[in-house]
Amino acid sequence: MIDLPPLMGIETEYGIIRESEKKSDPVEESMQLLKRCSAPSVFGAWAYGRENSHLDMRGFRVGSLAQDEEEDAFCAEDRKRSYSYLEMKCDRVLTNGARFYNDHTHPEYSSPECNDLFQLVAHDVAGEHIVARATQLRNQDLGESSVQLFKNNTDYIGHSYGTHDNYLIAREIPFDDLVQALVPFLVTRQLYAGAGKVGYEGDGEPFHGLQLSQRSDFVETVLSIETMTQRPIINTRDEPHASSKDYRRLHLILGDANMSAYATALKVGTTRLVLGLIARGAGPDFELENPVADVARISRDLNTPLKQTNGKTVTSLEIQFAYLEQAQKVWRDHNEECNWILNEWSRTLSDLQQDPEKLSDRIDWAIKQKLYRQFMESENLGWDDPWLQSLDLEYHNLDPERGLYRGLEQEGQVLELFKGSEIESAIETPPVGSRAWIRGKMVEHYGDDIQSIHWTGLKLKNGDVLDLTSVIKSDEVETWINDNKEKWQWK
Amino acid sequence: MEMNDPLRREKRDAPKPDSSEGGPKAPESVKPGRDNILKRMKRVDPKQSENYKQRTGQ
Repeated sequence: MIDLPPLMGIETEYGIIRESEKKSDPVEESMQLLKRCSAPSVFGAWAYGRENSHLDMRGFRVGSLAQDEEEDAFCAEDRKRSYSYLEMKCDRVLTNGARFYNDHTHPEYSSPECNDLFQLVAHDVAGEHIVARATQLRNQDLGESSVQLFKNNTDYIGHSYGTHDNYLIAREIPFDDLVQALVPFLVTRQLYAGAGKVGYEGDGEPFHGLQLSQRSDFVETVLSIETMTQRPIINTRDEPHASSKDYRRLHLILGDANMSAYATALKVGTTRLVLGLIARGAGPDFELENPVADVARISRDLNTPLKQTNGKTVTSLEIQFAYLEQAQKVWRDHNEECNWILNEWSRTLSDLQQDPEKLSDRIDWAIKQKLYRQFMESENLGWDDPWLQSLDLEYHNLDPERGLYRGLEQEGQVLELFKGSEIESAIETPPVGSRAWIRGKMVEHYGDDIQSIHWTGLKLKNGDVLDLTSVIKSDEVETWINDNKEKWQWK
Repeated sequence: MEMNDPLRREKRDAPKPDSSEGGPKAPESVKPGRDNILKRMKRVDPKQSENYKQRTGQ
């Protein structure tokens, strides 16, 4: 029987600025940041030849991926720089199995792939600390604190960058079935997964207030292989980083960067359970008439009625409760992780139904709402005051002395999911039970010998190849390690 | 070669939410810190977001 997705991962592109420069150069600043990363790692050896981002899950290949005219112009300028595209990337693979590099002018931390939700979230939070440490060292070099990093998704004037959650799913699930059953869930999960945003961007209806989601203004279609324009509810890039005969990698780009680890856990955990439901043909039956428009409408009003193709209307909460009900039937007592997700999903939807302020210790948009309202009251400000957008940006600042979420953490105002020691461990140690463990240990013990490295394996300078393409499930990882334990002297 | 079996030797429990029963508990302190966070908010440059320009990512 098809089970839950066996692997999950989160990619986070960070915003970066050097405040002392009149025109901060994100390419240069991202490079300098990556170069200053002190974490033990393999540098500049990413195997780009194993990337294939032009295949579409709908069965065709695109010649190129699109970007807007402004970015075309920027790229033309980039080609005049004194370093190559690959030098600009500054790829690092870390001992915790993660990739840390410069992607489209944003420092990106791609978590190691995990088979356990809490290991994944711990490694995502570890990424924040790795990025923050590199920032601290960069600022030491500069003798100032001008370089600032933000775990968010927008600059409030129309430039968005992504936080992608990824799930390895069985290829045998028909893609059309997957889309039909998943879209209503994805459109509505912003009720707890939204990181909140002050104001609006793009050509839509003007909005003054706090939206649920940072990315909702940027979702333009249901399906697309694109990521920089025409951003979709479901990205159709067919690049499983595993056996394409057995798996697809569902690459979701509509989500927000959560500062709350609890919100990250709920977002990824619920999505994992829903994908498991769909695999078993047990998803609830909803078909929204206009899901793309609904993404933005819900973000601006969580109670807005949503039209279904059957002529009836439904609310976001009703959709989420229906998915929860099905998940309770299938996944209750499956394991401890499933029970945590089901309990917290239920508690969060109930709290939202009764009083959204009950979420103000753990769901980003609700934390913001309470915080900003207090500030607006004390300073006599309205939602359209530019100060609010500045505060909204600063919520996501990783600087412990400036970031608003960091301040709330320090004061015990928000729920902490992990002990500090668990995050410290995730900064250096790969997740147990996934192939990332093998990758991380090879980086730790054989880093100088690695010629090229990728999610699916690595090649050593002596010609040895470790092919991990089919080492996916935890029993496959254990078998691989036992079969190879004489060869690799991991200490 | 049990000594070299890293999976067994270094196996550890996956991180778990820091709670003993049920889900995570809400933080107990609610009021005392709010003044400090409001002071931190007051230090934010009202024009900060205007100066924050990024390039489109994915």
